[in-house]
Amino acid sequence: MKHLFTTALVASMALGASFAPVHAQTEEVNVVLFGMPYTNGLQDLADQFEEDTGIRANIEVIGQDVFENRITLTFTGGSDDIDVVHAPVIQVQRWIQAGWLQPMTEYVAAMPGADDILAGPLNAYVVDGENWAVPFMAGAGLMTYRQDVLDEAGLAVPETWEEMLEVAAAIHTDDRAAIGLRAVPGQGFNMFIFPMIMRAYGGNFFADYEGGDLTPAINSPENLEALNVYIELINEYAPQGAGNFNFAEVLAAAQNDQIAFAVEGTGVVSRIVDPDLSQYAGVTGIALPPGGPAGRSPAIAVHGLGIPTSAANPDAAARFIEWAVSVDTVTQIALNEAFPDFTTGPVADNPEVIAKYADVHPDFLAMRVQALDLAIGHYRPLIPDWPSLGQAVGENINAAVNGLMSPEDALEAAEQEMRDILGLY
Amino acid sequence: MAFSSTRRQRGATYEIQRGYRRMIIPALVAVSVFAIVPLAGMFGLAFSDYHLIRGSEGRFGFHNFVRLISDGRLMGSVYVMAILSIFGVVAQVLIGTAVAVGLQKIVGRWRMGRVLFLVPYAVPHVAVALIWLSLFTPTLSPINAFFDIFGITVPSFLTTQNGAMFAIVVADTWTNFPFSMLIILAALQGISPDLDEAAALDGATRIKTFFYITLPLLMPALLMITLFRFIDSLKHFPMIFVITKGGPGRSTQATNFYAYVQTFQNSNVAYGAAIAVTLFLMAALISFYVAKLNQRVSS
Amino acid sequence: MIDNSSAFRVKKALGLFMMFSLLAFAAMPTLWVLILSIREQSAVFQPIWESPLAVTLENFLSIGRSDFPRALLNSFITAGTATVLAMIVGVPAGFALAKARLSGKFIASWILLLLRMAPPVGFVIPLFITYVNAGLIDTYTGLIFAYMTLTLPLITWSMWNSFSQIPDELIEAAIMDGASLTKAFALVAVPAARPGVVAAAILGFLVAWNDFFFALIITRSSTTTAPVAVMNFISYDSVDWASIAVASIALTLPILPLMAIANRYIVQSLSGAVKG
Repeated sequence: MKHLFTTALVASMALGASFAPVHAQTEEVNVVLFGMPYTNGLQDLADQFEEDTGIRANIEVIGQDVFENRITLTFTGGSDDIDVVHAPVIQVQRWIQAGWLQPMTEYVAAMPGADDILAGPLNAYVVDGENWAVPFMAGAGLMTYRQDVLDEAGLAVPETWEEMLEVAAAIHTDDRAAIGLRAVPGQGFNMFIFPMIMRAYGGNFFADYEGGDLTPAINSPENLEALNVYIELINEYAPQGAGNFNFAEVLAAAQNDQIAFAVEGTGVVSRIVDPDLSQYAGVTGIALPPGGPAGRSPAIAVHGLGIPTSAANPDAAARFIEWAVSVDTVTQIALNEAFPDFTTGPVADNPEVIAKYADVHPDFLAMRVQALDLAIGHYRPLIPDWPSLGQAVGENINAAVNGLMSPEDALEAAEQEMRDILGLY
Repeated sequence: MAFSSTRRQRGATYEIQRGYRRMIIPALVAVSVFAIVPLAGMFGLAFSDYHLIRGSEGRFGFHNFVRLISDGRLMGSVYVMAILSIFGVVAQVLIGTAVAVGLQKIVGRWRMGRVLFLVPYAVPHVAVALIWLSLFTPTLSPINAFFDIFGITVPSFLTTQNGAMFAIVVADTWTNFPFSMLIILAALQGISPDLDEAAALDGATRIKTFFYITLPLLMPALLMITLFRFIDSLKHFPMIFVITKGGPGRSTQATNFYAYVQTFQNSNVAYGAAIAVTLFLMAALISFYVAKLNQRVSS
Repeated sequence: MIDNSSAFRVKKALGLFMMFSLLAFAAMPTLWVLILSIREQSAVFQPIWESPLAVTLENFLSIGRSDFPRALLNSFITAGTATVLAMIVGVPAGFALAKARLSGKFIASWILLLLRMAPPVGFVIPLFITYVNAGLIDTYTGLIFAYMTLTLPLITWSMWNSFSQIPDELIEAAIMDGASLTKAFALVAVPAARPGVVAAAILGFLVAWNDFFFALIITRSSTTTAPVAVMNFISYDSVDWASIAVASIALTLPILPLMAIANRYIVQSLSGAVKG
């Protein structure tokens, strides 16, 4: 029997060996990205990069959850199999602190197309005077509304969350709820949406983020007011079960005539207003998300490409990034995919790109630019601990939305947990 | 064990027992090789202060376990885990047994039936979770749409703790009851039909036959299912991750999910490993007794 | 067993009703998946009676063009090999656990379960680092070894169960007749426990087929398995429900013929098996 086992072992070794990937002699760059329109489009263009430079780009596009777990392991294990990595701005601070990314300042300085990149997103990756990644996409928060519903009720598009509550009360019915908002706990879920309300009421995460005072201030009266608005919208004017909605449920509700308003990221908004994906697209308008006493603060999400410290081939990686954010490449992706969120400025001047997105929705590109102009870079704080903070705050907010805690208690608990995470006792 | 051990046969018996030992050893070696490194690593991390981002200051000791004792979230997570495990395992054993016995005794040898009931087991868990998420989301669910025609509003399950736990148990049961079904089917077929016939001749009712003859013979199989499903249910992950994200609030963060939040979201690898070690020890202890029971019943 | 009393008929009807409800529970989500898989993107969540004609085969075609078929093949290769290896090692072990009088056999059986008891979050980092150093990342070998830790305990335990239902006298008689232990095992015990052997093989295969965790950390682009590939349909701001439905069908369909064949063996051995 022992003999049998040894044979089996050897046999499977041999099997493994014969299937192990064979590395060719040509120069290669390994790129790991997670699925979104830009990354899918980039994958389709990989051959062009090889034609231009002679370097083969192995672009792997995986699901976001798969990506996050693998990337953490790869970085921790120090394996050198990734040359270019998808770097969301809210993760980058954490990666820099852990020493997982290498600075790209020199590469960016030498990049011919660097001036084409929008300054806001590019600077979101500047930490301690160094560039750590180059952005390819900036998504913003927008609102979609059903023009037919508003016309029927004789109402205008709400400009503030206060007005949104009034409009919602007037149009909400059992068959079609007034609004859909992400509510599931998570720093990329309810914490992508809720800060829009929070900042409209003058709330903040910290006492003085820009001045460098990172004392948590989530339990402020402003935040409480905002949380009450969020709770009222979800519990009174959103569809049944909205306390567990994520972007997928919001999108489906909008496409199926179950909500009149949605406040979402540009990626989801582009699907809500796309006539190919929704029969109500023709009667759906786009506006900036509502504001409040402290102004309007649309959500922002920036994604870019960085080079891991352990990269085997950083020079080739830099050439790849340069190609990936070039006007030519990004224009092709904007035309091939539903990708209006580019951060390479001149692409917006391309007549074909303009025509394409005007076809989807005439206001879309303009609204997106307006929202980006209004958005503050640190919409979600750019600090290494944000992923943990966002998770903790998001869980407490969701508990309040679903009535497990009072709003006051939820913010108090969030405040306490923020202090614990930051080590302030 | 009916081998007689008279003096004459003792030598031969020894030879046979050695043969048995040789049959077990390869399995033990194979599992140990793969278990030792990860398990040792897990214990090592649990006593360390390793943080994914900040690294380690070289502290080594019981500090993570001291912190565990006063962690209110841990107790909450153990409660959620207990509810999910107990209800899930009981539902899977009951439904699995009912289907197996039903297929055997009521429907007869309807082979396609078995195949139909096995389908849920082949669906990947992520897809199972997404399918049930859509069935439990009032705006997406065909069930809600159907009852809506008659003006009936199906309540939303995912916004209360009990409802959300119910949803997770249903999804878990749906995909895993075929496991119980298959083991019980195999066990039922090992049971001689003569026994049933003998019982019937003695005038026992079918129900009595089932409870006094079939069920005791199925006990080893039932215990084995309980053991395996229980161990797996402690590691509940995709269902929670996809269906509720631990919500509403934190009310469906089972212990394993909480360990994940600490390890990957909060980068607190050492603390996450300490939670995992606690969970591991609990599973080891409980499975020890179930396995012991199994051994007693089998022999 | 022949009984035509009305009480019996009521019981039979109740039994059939129970089976029917259970079948509904098992089949309803399956039906929902079938519907999702053929719906047009814009009609995925519309009630089917509102737009019965919004059906398309495009979802199937687009999956066929993607990397998914390759992932399906990877799943087959790894789960299949791991099952075969685990059967070779696990069936004799289950036999020995059931029939031997060894003092440590209980502990041995329990150790087999140890790795299964540990929550993956606890050991994922050490495991990953070991695999990196052993050069097993993104190889079939690495994944097959990992799957053996899942399939082997299951197969061993399930065979322990099956063999303990075989009367000891049967083995004893074979050995009395001069057969070696190995022969008694291979020629007497295994055929007698055939339903259990088939069931163990199916269960072992399915547990590896279903694995998400090990594939998530061990595989990269060239060895990705289907359950991980399914996750790729959930992207940053959209969930591709139709593709997930198609992928679920693609993951289930190859299993069905396997089940149908295995079924025949279970039934056959019922009629032909040795009876106590």
